[in-house]
Amino acid sequence: MRHITKTYPGVRAVDDVTFDVRAGEVHGLVGENGAGKSTLIKILAGAVHRDRGEIHFDGQPVTLANVHEAKRLGVSIIHQELNLVPYFDGAENIFLGDPYPHRWYGGVDWRTLHRRAAAILAQLGAAIPVDVPVHRLSPGQQTMIAIAHGFAANARLMVMDEPTAALTDQEIERLFAVIRALREQGVGVVYVSHRLEEIFEIADRVTVMRNGRVVTTQPAAKLDQDELVRLMIGRNVETVFPPRGDGMGEPLLEVQGLSGETARDVTFTLHAGEVLGVAGLVGAGRSELLRMIFGVDPIRAGQIRLPSTDDAGTSRAPRSPGDAFRKGVALVPEERRSQGLVLSRPIFENVTLTHLARFARGGLLLDRRRELRETARLGDRLGLKAHSLRQPVMQLSGGNQQKVVFARCLAGEARVLLLDEPTRGIDVGAKLELYQIIRDLTREGAGVLLVSSELPELIGLSDRVLVLHEGRQMGIIDAATTDQTEVLRACYGFTPGEINGE
Amino acid sequence: MTVESTTDNPPRRRSMSLWLRTYGTFIGLLAMVLIFSLLRPGVFLSVNNLRNIAEQVAILAIVSTTMTVVMVVGDFDLSVGALASLCGVIVADMLIKQLGLVPSIAIALAAGALAGALNGLLVAYAGLSAFVATLATMTAYRGLSLWYTDGSTLFSGIDEAFRPIGQGSTGPVPNSVLIMLGVLAVVWFVMEQTVFGRRLYAIGGNAEASFLAGVSVRRLRLIAFIISGVGAALAGIVLTSRLFSAHPTAGEPLMLTSIAAVFLGMTMFREGEPHVLGTFFGVLLLGVMNNGLNLLRVNSYIQQVITGVIIILAVLISGLARRGQR
Repeated sequence: MRHITKTYPGVRAVDDVTFDVRAGEVHGLVGENGAGKSTLIKILAGAVHRDRGEIHFDGQPVTLANVHEAKRLGVSIIHQELNLVPYFDGAENIFLGDPYPHRWYGGVDWRTLHRRAAAILAQLGAAIPVDVPVHRLSPGQQTMIAIAHGFAANARLMVMDEPTAALTDQEIERLFAVIRALREQGVGVVYVSHRLEEIFEIADRVTVMRNGRVVTTQPAAKLDQDELVRLMIGRNVETVFPPRGDGMGEPLLEVQGLSGETARDVTFTLHAGEVLGVAGLVGAGRSELLRMIFGVDPIRAGQIRLPSTDDAGTSRAPRSPGDAFRKGVALVPEERRSQGLVLSRPIFENVTLTHLARFARGGLLLDRRRELRETARLGDRLGLKAHSLRQPVMQLSGGNQQKVVFARCLAGEARVLLLDEPTRGIDVGAKLELYQIIRDLTREGAGVLLVSSELPELIGLSDRVLVLHEGRQMGIIDAATTDQTEVLRACYGFTPGEINGE
Repeated sequence: MTVESTTDNPPRRRSMSLWLRTYGTFIGLLAMVLIFSLLRPGVFLSVNNLRNIAEQVAILAIVSTTMTVVMVVGDFDLSVGALASLCGVIVADMLIKQLGLVPSIAIALAAGALAGALNGLLVAYAGLSAFVATLATMTAYRGLSLWYTDGSTLFSGIDEAFRPIGQGSTGPVPNSVLIMLGVLAVVWFVMEQTVFGRRLYAIGGNAEASFLAGVSVRRLRLIAFIISGVGAALAGIVLTSRLFSAHPTAGEPLMLTSIAAVFLGMTMFREGEPHVLGTFFGVLLLGVMNNGLNLLRVNSYIQQVITGVIIILAVLISGLARRGQR
């Protein structure tokens, strides 16, 4: 691939990327969230078309106009979410889409099919029963079935996107054995992972991406982990963040030994006037932490207390989002369009949805004039730009949509704000505005729990940063004195030098 | 990766499809009225015939109006026809057993609410799809009325005081039409002017976002089904009074026709969301067509074919318009 560029409205996701994979090579691809890895993979898969640049396959220029062309060329993508048919057995999944062998009367020759499937797996050195429905196999075995499917279709280039995310250490070892077998068969492998130690174990060369660009491509043997982390962060241009507040007020939220599906034993206190950042890689349990506090995700163990709600009975953890809002806890969800907004409905209806009864006569009858007045007030405060407050939200830009979500949180008297990737997918100008809004809110006595995958933003905006690594709390770092290297190292599971627990 | 729309202004293009979507059903209704009154001058538009149409659509309008509530939330209720029959059978049986007018009606309505609550529990709390849950309860409710009546029609011994509901008039207006107008007014008011209705629309637009915004999604879905159940029961009661007999499958045709009416109505309002007034237009359109074709002595089997074609046309027009929006 040479000089590949892909631009989305407002973002250049992949910018002038040149990238090559050799036959029989495992090529590691690393970068922070949003560095452009996913887009690059989609271009390789034929799912997204590049704006500029050329792609050569086996020396021949190719267009990769669609998924079928990519498949025909022998590009196989192993997604995090495997494309398997859960109730088909391994053999059928391996040959899915290929003609099955038939018997003389037209029926499927299952015995031959199973024999061929077993042969494929044997070539890869994987011992997996081929006659068991794949949903009964372990995640690692399923991954290998997916790899075998690509191999059976004569894949020459295999792209694996975070293949180990759901695997145990033992399964990872077996997966690596399969990848080495692929390498010996002359297959080129692009290996994407957030786990750097894996990159060093399996990759021959490593390409680092940052902000849509390739920073470097080097033999893995020439790099060490610290160097890799430094390359991934680079020296970003500092965005101007509003000044931090002066000191913390009373505690608003106390979390003690909280555990859920992923998160394990998380403990912290959020104070009035502070922004507490939550750092971690995708899947580290950041969103889950917020959703547990918000009464959505189940809590396995631990306690959540809201000391500011003085009445003893109400200081307990919220049981549902409705309960959370009543107790002054508001959430800006991760996925704005699917979780945050009712896109087809007008702006003002989205703003007033949570506290609708407050704007209604007697708590029952709608008072649209009052709703519009309140929406206009909040909109002014947040700098919401819209044609009309009766406009469906779907017509707004990302930044303005997010302001609608914020306005809804502010419509109540929320003091604990849970913000999950509040600036994702919005342009720089709107981001800066949101930073200011977040700081203004803390100055007025709110406490903010901020999840963001953009480290500069997380560090620049927070007072303290809590780091999660695979659900475990690595510590809480003072944001004023830390840097990205320290936080990112902690995200990857290295215990930082100066870390103070609570 | 989502590609954000970067315009802050409402799109002004594609006005033709928007126009068709908004007014297509209405124009269809007007065109039908025009054609029928030209083909049957002096008959179609006579006071008598209009009253006829109103009476013919009253029962369907009641069911369709409450069906709209369920469809606003994004579900639908296949059991309304069977439930209308069941509640009709119940009210007739109570009247035959001399329980008195008001208690009999109250029991039938309560049965409707209970059956609707069962639908709602299955869908909102047990997590069944509306299709599976109400298909199953439809079968069960039909079985109950057949078992209750042993497959026969109940007619002898029904309290005469029950007759005016479906057959009497108040002044020039048939009572069934008054009931229909009452249901329409109440449901319209609830859906458009109350906190409850707004929340239902929000759930229909995006259930997850509504949940995360603090709306009690499950409870409201349950209530929507209860409303639909009560509507079906009321329709069954009026139907039984009108026929002055209760047949265990008398209400069956209501189910598909009411869903069709809501779909026709969805082609008229907002972003293709169900709407009470739209549904009423849908009901009128079906009623006018039925009446006009009868006046023209069109074969009743062919009428069904025409109805099917009209529904497809209307939804196609609105569907195309909605695709054009993307």
